[in-house]
Amino acid sequence: MRSNTGIHAWLQTTTGIVAVLLAVQFLTGVLLAFYYVPSVDHAYTTVSFIEKVVSSGSWIRSLHHYGSQWLTVFVFLHVIRLFWTSAYVTNKIQWILAVLLLGLVMAAGGTGYSLPWDARAFFSTRVAEGLVAGLPFAGRIARLWVLGGSEISTVTLSRFFALHVLVIPALIGIAVVWRLYRSQIAELFGSRDAIAAGIVFLALAFWTLKHPAPLGPSAVEAGADYLPRPGAQFLWLYQSLKYVPGGLGSVVGVVLPGIVLAVLVGLPWLKRQRLIAGSLLSIGVVLVVIMTTAQYFGDRRDPKTARQLAKQVAAEEAWRREPFTPAMITLAATSTTNATASGGAPDMYTKFCASCHGSHGQGAQQGPLKFPPLLDVSAKPRRSIDDIVGLLKDPTAYGLQPPMRSFATKLTEEQMREIAGWIVKLKR
Amino acid sequence: MTFETSRRSFLKFLPLAAVFASIGGAAFRFLRPRLSAATDAWLDVASVSELTGPQPISRKIVAEQITGWAITTEEHNVFVLPAKNNQVVSAICPHEGCEVAWEQNTNRFSCPCHESYFAADGSRISGPAARGLDPLPARVQDGKLQVQYFSKEQATRA
Repeated sequence: MRSNTGIHAWLQTTTGIVAVLLAVQFLTGVLLAFYYVPSVDHAYTTVSFIEKVVSSGSWIRSLHHYGSQWLTVFVFLHVIRLFWTSAYVTNKIQWILAVLLLGLVMAAGGTGYSLPWDARAFFSTRVAEGLVAGLPFAGRIARLWVLGGSEISTVTLSRFFALHVLVIPALIGIAVVWRLYRSQIAELFGSRDAIAAGIVFLALAFWTLKHPAPLGPSAVEAGADYLPRPGAQFLWLYQSLKYVPGGLGSVVGVVLPGIVLAVLVGLPWLKRQRLIAGSLLSIGVVLVVIMTTAQYFGDRRDPKTARQLAKQVAAEEAWRREPFTPAMITLAATSTTNATASGGAPDMYTKFCASCHGSHGQGAQQGPLKFPPLLDVSAKPRRSIDDIVGLLKDPTAYGLQPPMRSFATKLTEEQMREIAGWIVKLKR
Repeated sequence: MTFETSRRSFLKFLPLAAVFASIGGAAFRFLRPRLSAATDAWLDVASVSELTGPQPISRKIVAEQITGWAITTEEHNVFVLPAKNNQVVSAICPHEGCEVAWEQNTNRFSCPCHESYFAADGSRISGPAARGLDPLPARVQDGKLQVQYFSKEQATRA
């Protein structure tokens, strides 16, 4: 039942908004899959590549990231709107599909959060592991099935990837097609829907132009003081888990939401529908609002937390200004690289220098960025072994510009001397 | 359907068109291919003293190139031709890019894919290949034969 006039007509445009946001998620998701690799040694590199090198990559990823949060909000509003108009009586299929869509969109958000394999993705996977493991009766087995083994590994990442890009979108696709099959598009997507959806998309597009999707340090590089924070749609869960003792976390995070969704799906066959759904939805709204607000202010009130979070934001901004560091892939049976001509590169050179200057000092080019070769560098003035060690400590003193940075804190004097001793022998 | 309603039903797809146009435009830039940057490093093939005899000598070189988000180190087969002043030719067949093998008994290179044949000096004998095996830039440094590796695509682009 749709009203044709006034504010009611506008409140019913959630259908169109959800449809457009779903389309945005599908389109941007397909694009991201062209570069993303679901493996623990390349996931972070490929996401960094999308952020730093690929044209429009940061915007596409941000659309996908924030789009998923907006989508969750609008699907929730859609369910509330359907409750308001008693759709569980008048249009049972529409009601059931909307509730299922809410569950699926949450599941997509949960699995998607693990994919970049940065520090927050890693912790989110840990939390998912804990929630599943804490389930009554089936916890142990369920944990093994989710992880694909006894520990979080690259197999776990593949599982989350398969769920996120194949299983869940397929289920959402079935729900959407079913919904379209049950009604006419013209009825589903009126002029008001188009206007509302257009406004929401424009807002999302401009928001994401200004705000790139967050990407923390890679899972291996994160310090022990790193504070992970989940996406906005899961802040309520994050905050709730602080208040319940260990074993009950799974009840709050998985069992209760599961029961609520199941009851809402079964609502058309229940008695006292208005009372049941009304209380569940209002408890849900109150819980989500209170917990999200508590989380928001909690982070800002505690000076230590606020300082650390500010530090993380600053570190991420600094990371965005650094050039992209490519991964190393070796497709060679023999390990004899050309570097053996002048002796193999020191391990620390390979770790810190090779991604920009090449594995044997030949230099490299990344888009507009040119990294100078180191061959014959000892023939230049101020490039003795002592000079190179000094340069590694303080590049600006030797007239070098960023992205060349100081390695004073990353390398010992001995390691710098070893690298410098190797570099001066490099000949063209 | 009146003119009024048909115009409105057309207009309501404008926002949708905006969505697809903006993401579609970004998608074109997003998916645009990036040319691989091969390094022009000189790669060791062998010591000159090892390179004797009339037969082509098969060697592996390890070359690096920047491909998308990775620096890929890959092994490539090359042939040194001692009889032709140590010229180095790529083992990539100039026809469709399969790898040729040296057949000692017939004294020729043969391509396993489409039966192109090349003489011991790399020149084309018969088959669909349009030219002989591609020579690579080579030099001798400190008693070692070195080459710069170029892929078939780079060799034919010029």
